[in-house]
Amino acid sequence: MKITDEIRISDNGFVFNSKTGDSFNINPTGLELTKLIALDSDFDDIKEIFLEKYDLDDLTFENDFYEFCALLKHNQITVQEDPLDFK
Amino acid sequence: MEKMKYEKPGMTKINAGMPSKFGMPVKQKIVAEIDGITVSSLIEEYGSPLFVISETTMRNTYAEAKRAFDTRYPKVQFAWSYKTNYLDAVCSIYHDEGSWAEVVSGFEFEKALANGVDGSRILFNGPDKSKADLIMAIENNACIHIDHFDELYLLIETTREIGLKARVAIRVNLDAGIYPIWDRFGFNYENGDAWNAINRIMLAESLDLIGLHTHIGTYIMVQSAYAIAASKLANLYMAIHRKFDYWLKYIDLGGGFASKNTLKGAYMPGSETCPSFDDYAEAISNALISSEIPHENLPVLFLETGRALIDDAGYLLTTVLANKRLNSGRRSMIIDAGVNLLFTSFWYNLNVYPTRELGHAEESTIYGPLCMNIDVIRDAIVFPQVKTGEQLVIERVGAYNITQSMQFITYRPNVVLIDERGKTHIIRKKESLETFKHVELNPKRS
Ligand SMILES: Cc1ncc(COP(=O)(O)O)c(C=O)c1O
Repeated sequence: MKITDEIRISDNGFVFNSKTGDSFNINPTGLELTKLIALDSDFDDIKEIFLEKYDLDDLTFENDFYEFCALLKHNQITVQEDPLDFK
Repeated sequence: MEKMKYEKPGMTKINAGMPSKFGMPVKQKIVAEIDGITVSSLIEEYGSPLFVISETTMRNTYAEAKRAFDTRYPKVQFAWSYKTNYLDAVCSIYHDEGSWAEVVSGFEFEKALANGVDGSRILFNGPDKSKADLIMAIENNACIHIDHFDELYLLIETTREIGLKARVAIRVNLDAGIYPIWDRFGFNYENGDAWNAINRIMLAESLDLIGLHTHIGTYIMVQSAYAIAASKLANLYMAIHRKFDYWLKYIDLGGGFASKNTLKGAYMPGSETCPSFDDYAEAISNALISSEIPHENLPVLFLETGRALIDDAGYLLTTVLANKRLNSGRRSMIIDAGVNLLFTSFWYNLNVYPTRELGHAEESTIYGPLCMNIDVIRDAIVFPQVKTGEQLVIERVGAYNITQSMQFITYRPNVVLIDERGKTHIIRKKESLETFKHVELNPKRS
């Protein structure tokens, strides 16, 4: 999963996609995830960071994480190059 | 170190220059309790989903409707439309308030009698009255509202056979400026059928014509339609007096007042656009009082108001079963109440509310639990993120949903009444396998 080059992310959660012209507001946890994904971090590392920081159980995190990834993909913020790629 | 409060990660697309149709997003309404009882304790005690009916709201709404008419017209009588909600506990409250009964089948007639309504206070409407039904109605001195000529002749034949007189009215259909005209019920005013039927009844010795009835439709959003209907019935009323030197007892304008629910496709919420009881009462009373009818001979005005009286008093409590992101990116959630319990979801955008403050809201689809594609409670509703197990409240479901609910795939739930003192009572029990064992038979094969 890769954040496309056309994406600009500001520190207050404003995201602009210069390819589609769309812009988005991401909430603070979403922004944190997006930044970690942009750094190409591993799911397990991200999970650890979140569980450490937030009052949260691992299953809720996992469920929310993959849903958020689907949103990123749907809004063309990330691209899935290979349909069998799972990360 | 204490951990931080977690919020589900989310994102929303910014639609520049396209504010929502009501401008800025409004604060999400929360419904945490009904008549002072928390939703969570109701679900804990009676299960989910759960229909809840508020006696206080029923009585307050009835009082509001009655006041609107009583202050404008000398003689008004409500008749509770059984099909809207015929749970005995519900009907009994309206009868206690002074309502007669309006029924459309032998079954509803029997129910009204069993609820202690005197037969002479039952208005018997509808196209389906068997000979046995008619005999029951005649013997109980009910007001039979004749729907078609075949019924008229069956009635004449029946009264002759049993040697009793029947008290009757005719149902009239008419052009009140709203379309489609419900011309399948009753006798048409404009083409002379109604006048024709009246003349035949006046000649039939065994029939006493005592009233005129119409029901122009349901969820009528313009009060002027009632003024037109009232004037046309007033014309017939006067024509009968002129020709037969006889005053009828009543004019019945049926039901049809809109409830505050919002119709699908409506631009504004129903609570903003629907006429009030005062608006309807003003239109109807003016039309009757300013008609040719002399003041001392004004008929009793019957009203068979259904949905506008009970919709607001009914709630459906439900629980979130799952959240799901659809392939289109749209958020959806599945709740434990389906369209088989919410017949009115086919024509209303029902209001669904959380029971506590929740986070980030997003346009969502709400599905019921049935394994059927049609099971959609809301196509598009801006709704906060919820977890499985979250309890929600669907408002304004008192009319038609319980009577038209269908047992399908799973058991139908409890219906609970909250009485005026805040006490809860089961008024219809949740189904169980026993319910089915009671009515199903499985032939033994040798
Ligand atoms: C004859 C008659 N009266 C009254 C009603 C109640 O109508 P509403 O619920 O629209 O007030 C109906 C409903 O269809 C009806 O058919």
